[in-house]
Amino acid sequence: MNLGMSWAVRILTPMLSVLGLWYLAIFFSGLPAFVIPRPERVLDVLWVDHAFILEHLWATLQVAAIGFVWANIVGIGLAILFDLLPFTRHMLLPAAITLRNVPYIAMISVLMLAFGDSMLSKTTIVALAGFFPVLVNTMQGLRAADEVQLDRMRILNASWWQTFSQVRLPYAVPAIISAQEITGSGSIIVAIAAEWMISSTGLGYVINNAMQNYRGDRVYAVALLATGLSFLIYTFVHWLGGRLDWRTGDPRR
Amino acid sequence: MAAPVSIRGVSRQFGETWALRPTDLEIKAGEFVALVGPSGCGKTTLLRLVADLVAPTSGEVRIGNDTAAEARRKRLLGLVSQRPAVLPWKRAIDDVRFTQKIAGKVGFDPAKVLRDFGLEGHEGKRARQLSGGMLQRVNIASAMAHDPAVLLMDEPFSALDEMKREEIGEWFDRELALRPKTVLFVTHHIDEAVMLADRLLVFSASPGVVAEIVSVDVPRPRDPSFRQDPRFVAIAAHVRGLLMHKAVALS
Repeated sequence: MNLGMSWAVRILTPMLSVLGLWYLAIFFSGLPAFVIPRPERVLDVLWVDHAFILEHLWATLQVAAIGFVWANIVGIGLAILFDLLPFTRHMLLPAAITLRNVPYIAMISVLMLAFGDSMLSKTTIVALAGFFPVLVNTMQGLRAADEVQLDRMRILNASWWQTFSQVRLPYAVPAIISAQEITGSGSIIVAIAAEWMISSTGLGYVINNAMQNYRGDRVYAVALLATGLSFLIYTFVHWLGGRLDWRTGDPRR
Repeated sequence: MAAPVSIRGVSRQFGETWALRPTDLEIKAGEFVALVGPSGCGKTTLLRLVADLVAPTSGEVRIGNDTAAEARRKRLLGLVSQRPAVLPWKRAIDDVRFTQKIAGKVGFDPAKVLRDFGLEGHEGKRARQLSGGMLQRVNIASAMAHDPAVLLMDEPFSALDEMKREEIGEWFDRELALRPKTVLFVTHHIDEAVMLADRLLVFSASPGVVAEIVSVDVPRPRDPSFRQDPRFVAIAAHVRGLLMHKAVALS
């Protein structure tokens, strides 16, 4: 009962406060309804336009998911490479840091020039935006293995692969999961931004289209949907991370 | 299975600092040698040199006919650290099996070892479900699972309270009678060292020099009543005196 109450409070409190602030903004700003529509109007749009929005949501999810998978392949792959061959770290890490600091808008523009409005250009930008947190966290995670465990592997003359797969990687799992809090929810946001700039599908396109037609209510509907989705991903990853942290608890009891 | 350990002129320097001055020591197969001394005196360095986890600046360690590196490659060494190296996501019995899998050697039947170690009924538990004493037993079982010839122990009981420490020490002494090993045992605890060891290597304070080698000529395993034996009291007092004397000399 207490647990149920506490969950209800944790979910309802932020919802009520957001709704409260929303109504206050409508009341005090004096802005027209197409700039700041009422919450019930936004929910109505979500209901009425659900077929249209779901179709584009599906397109966005595809871009975000493929980009997310590539971000992890590149991020985790590079971290493993750096662990196996430390000199590659000196060669490639500065390039990764540089890439990280290039404005996404510039990258999207270049990718659009190279590949046009395609799945490749959109998933590439999601992967480029998302791989760095995965790389950094995986590198930290691989270094987090307990020194006594590593001594144990050394005294048993374990191979690099045995030490990596049986000790270093399991210890890195919580850090890798934690990176997904950023990369997972970020993938949705970056996918929408890419679609907003270059695409004729996806939630980003829906926002762009709605803006051109002065459909503020539809912009809010998409924003609400995307925020909810990002929040869900973040919450799920956070929960999973807590379950898999060997330092704080027994993960597979 | 146990093997003799020969330490010949072994030293280790870290930069300008001597962690261990050139040291000689011959350890017989099955002998239990305790390394005692103040913090930073070189006990753990000597242990890690024998384990081939640190390379010597000079000298050589031989285990039987092998160098330390060869012995490690042949999986002749077992290491028990101060903090248990039991993998937190493995059940106790799987952790023991894990050592055998990595070493490629099945020394003992894991279930029997855990039973002999007083862990019957706890084989399926993970690290956080075990008490400190039980966890250290699993740690020792895992370190011995591939039947190493030499067991290197770095303050293995220091995280336990006094009672538990004595209890596990007595148990370990009996256990070694069943599965003989050459043991190098680092400890700060003089009584524990006198109770368990055939010889005590008493270190002076840093830089690491062996001040004296003290023999305990009483057969093992020893009865708990040995703690009240005048020989025990005399040896412990002598070692304490050695350490105090060195400390006073330094101050």
